[in-house]
Amino acid sequence: MKEKSLDVAGQIVGGQVAKILVRQKSGKKLEIGDILVSEEDGSYLILQVYNLLYGSQIPKTTHELLAGLRLEGFGTDLEFMEPKLRNYVLAEVKAIANVSNNGTEIQVKIPKILPSFFQTIRPIQKDDLTFLTQPTNPVYIGKVRSGSKIIDVDVFLPSSEIFPHHILIPATTGRGKSNLVRIMLWSLLNLESTGALVLDPHNEYYETNGKGLKSHPNANKRLAYYTPNPKNGAKSLVINLRSIKPDHFMGIVNFTDAQWDAIRLYHSQFGENWLEEIVLQTPIQGSTVPLRTFGVLRRKFYLALGIEERNGEIHCRNNTFSGGSKGESTIDDIVKFLEEGKVVIADTSRLSDAAELIIGSIVAGTILEKYQYYKTTGELESMPVITIIVEEAPRVLGIDVLEEGDNIYSTIAREGRKFKIGLTAITQVVSLIPKTILANMNTKIILGNEMSTERSAIISSASQDLSEDDRTIASLDKGEAIISSIFTKFAIPIQVPMFEDFIKDKSVDEKKSKKIVIG
Amino acid sequence: MHKFAHLSDCHLGAWKHPALQKVEIEAFYRILDTCLKEKVNFIVISGDFFHSNLPDLGVVRMVVRKLKQVHDAGVPIYVVYGSHDYSPNDNSMIDILTDAGLLTKIKKGYEKDGKIKLDFILDQQTGAKITGLSGRKMGIERHYYEDLDRELLEKESGFKIFVFHAGLDELKPKALADMDSMPISLLPRGFDYYAGGHVHKQMMEEFSGYGKVCYPGPSFAGYSRDLEDSARGQKRGFFIVEFDEKVRDVKFREIDSVQYLYFEHDATDKNANIVQEELKLKIGTLDAKGKIVVMKIKGDLSGGKTSDINFSELRQLLNSKGAIHVQTNRYDLRSKEYLASISGDIGQDPKQIEERILRENIDSVKVSFPALKGKEGSGLAIELLAILRQDQKANERKSDYVGRVLDSCKESLHLEEIE
Ligand SMILES: Nc1ncnc2c1ncn2[C@@H]1O[C@H](COP(=O)(O)OP(=O)(O)OP(=O)(O)O)[C@@H](O)[C@H]1O
Ligand SMILES: [Mg+2]
Ligand SMILES: [Mn+2]
Repeated sequence: MKEKSLDVAGQIVGGQVAKILVRQKSGKKLEIGDILVSEEDGSYLILQVYNLLYGSQIPKTTHELLAGLRLEGFGTDLEFMEPKLRNYVLAEVKAIANVSNNGTEIQVKIPKILPSFFQTIRPIQKDDLTFLTQPTNPVYIGKVRSGSKIIDVDVFLPSSEIFPHHILIPATTGRGKSNLVRIMLWSLLNLESTGALVLDPHNEYYETNGKGLKSHPNANKRLAYYTPNPKNGAKSLVINLRSIKPDHFMGIVNFTDAQWDAIRLYHSQFGENWLEEIVLQTPIQGSTVPLRTFGVLRRKFYLALGIEERNGEIHCRNNTFSGGSKGESTIDDIVKFLEEGKVVIADTSRLSDAAELIIGSIVAGTILEKYQYYKTTGELESMPVITIIVEEAPRVLGIDVLEEGDNIYSTIAREGRKFKIGLTAITQVVSLIPKTILANMNTKIILGNEMSTERSAIISSASQDLSEDDRTIASLDKGEAIISSIFTKFAIPIQVPMFEDFIKDKSVDEKKSKKIVIG
Repeated sequence: MHKFAHLSDCHLGAWKHPALQKVEIEAFYRILDTCLKEKVNFIVISGDFFHSNLPDLGVVRMVVRKLKQVHDAGVPIYVVYGSHDYSPNDNSMIDILTDAGLLTKIKKGYEKDGKIKLDFILDQQTGAKITGLSGRKMGIERHYYEDLDRELLEKESGFKIFVFHAGLDELKPKALADMDSMPISLLPRGFDYYAGGHVHKQMMEEFSGYGKVCYPGPSFAGYSRDLEDSARGQKRGFFIVEFDEKVRDVKFREIDSVQYLYFEHDATDKNANIVQEELKLKIGTLDAKGKIVVMKIKGDLSGGKTSDINFSELRQLLNSKGAIHVQTNRYDLRSKEYLASISGDIGQDPKQIEERILRENIDSVKVSFPALKGKEGSGLAIELLAILRQDQKANERKSDYVGRVLDSCKESLHLEEIE
């Protein structure tokens, strides 16, 4: 510990609990977000800088006068006496963790003490973070970050805990949300204990420029990629219309009461063929669904799913929804993969928003039902946890959407935890999601955000007190993040690696060396 | 304009019951007779022609008579192995009939530069080019599809048919969700016709980048589940395809070789005695003469065991009314009193149950060799079991029998020698 103490960054000079003032040692450059350590008796406090300001021994008027003299050419060689002593930088810091080592175990607590007055502090080092160990079922997120400096300590989150408790990934565009999700999914491909359904509206996860999750050594066994136009062993995203139930539209496509009545009527009359029969406008004896209602329903189904009637037959604009024999088992297959703890990516890039969300609805609804059943039989315990990854989450969790009623995503957000199913919600606009739902999302991986309304929505729902971190979040660069979670002792600043760099030494070569048998 | 017939999953030799044996062979005769009448240029059979690789010789004799007739009419028959008549060392009845010139087995692939290459057979009369892959157990089979040199096949010009015996994810019936299958993207694109077998359901679909993908389903039935499906209205038959440089027309020819009678009875909240009496009454009103009868009893009995229902009495009753075969399905029949003793969802036929149990339990066996683990391992186990289940043939010497079984095992395990 002695060596560390030599590396002094500053000294505590005053303040109060969440606003400790540190005077920066001259020559050191403290940054917003820097993590510092103050060593106490038998323990140490981890501190974080959240604001910087000037301090000086000289009255303000004197500074102003001196600046004026220099600027106007009255005395260019005028200097303060011992400037380093008299002018300096003050950092506002807060204590984020209190670490003590009683010889047998390391304890990390929320700090309830102030650091000793006048204590010197130093930058954090690798050894200060030995308590950040690898949990079982680890999901790698990145390395600890102090300001913009990377500390060589890996940060893992416990998959079985974080996913059922929902994850929120908020950030403005281009700050690295997708990259982060890619990094997390990489870990999931190693874990049989976690299944993930990824609705991928940008088709960016399986492969981008030849790289992606398909480069994972387990991709062959543990990754299923569904796409409308598959090549070389990828799976067809084709879903039989008979897999769709009226409930799957709930909260995704709006219907009036009259339209719902017609839908229910057709569902009770034709069972799983209800959708086709509405589109074909098959009359039901003794019923009077107005032509206008048919018209609107047909238009809505066309806009959402791309299905329409042509010469008395169902025609699908895309290859994704189909009548006939196609795609009868796709949903069951996907659900089976999830139950085996696999990662399923659905390339929804060519579908409408509604179609994407309906596919998610069908899968999520089916898996939730199954898990509810497993709970009654006692099998749930041994099943993997499942996360459903949704981009632009306000599409299903937005306040305005939920005013129309719940949908499967909000149901999972509220009660999925009991059944080991959670959401991973990605969004640029947290403020559109109701506070009650945000409060249920117990892990937030916060990337950069320049919108102050968004920052305050994030901060007010975080698992740790981030009230002083507004500026920190505003200044997060691409890939810089803060993990605020009930499963971490404090809000951990991290640097998420760039996916392409991360997988360099981990991915498999395209050329597989496997034995060929011919029969 | 040319014509070919596409049939599959005849499962000849599947039934021991003489009445069903008769239907089975009649269905097959009618299909080939129709082919001759329609003057097809050739016939494609997508596997599971026989129910086992060395079927009952009585059945083979009947089959050969018809094959000879077709052969003499100058109509070639192109076949691949299915999962039932597969032989790892090319000693299936299919191979025997191929040697005799009655069938043409589509050539095996060969490995070159880490890829599996397939050759085309040229049909002399029509110029159609035919290739494909035999069926086997999917866990293993999947490899050859993954390593298939698709590009080479796609480059070939002309009218092309791809014959295969495998389930496709995209065309997997909901009821067979547990069936092993593969994505269509493992098949080479751009063929004019994909002649599928293995899935016992008639299907015809088109996929973008692919031509027509067709499964005729079984000509009669391979399993009892097929009987039930037929009884519930599923059509059995084969395809007749008209083509010149492209497919012009595909028609399903139904072969209703036998009449079926299907009925369901709900036992919910009734005791076994009442159900028995109700069923007797119901059967009294039925016309079962000359039909295959499938009855499904479902629901939770309020009292008595499921075995308290005397099914053999019901069966006799139906037989006395002239039913040629009676099949009962009571997988969904439970007894409230004895619910606990029944283990969750029981698969439909013994084969499925065997596959499921193997697959579920294989991971509890600790082995280091990857081919023995997971799906591949269970596939191999099933294949080995099938080999080991083979009986010694009449007139076969004990030592020949042992040698034959060992050879099959070696082939299956890709071993040089078994100690
Ligand atoms: N961890 C990182 N380190 C360095 N650069 C990064 C990191 N993550 C992302 N980037 C850069 O930022 C770009 C955008 O990243 P990404 O697509 O993940 O952002 P996003 O938040 O998902 O954006 P959008 O809102 O458009 O979906 C990437 O192309 C990459 O160049
Ligand atoms: Mg993104
Ligand atoms: Mn078959």
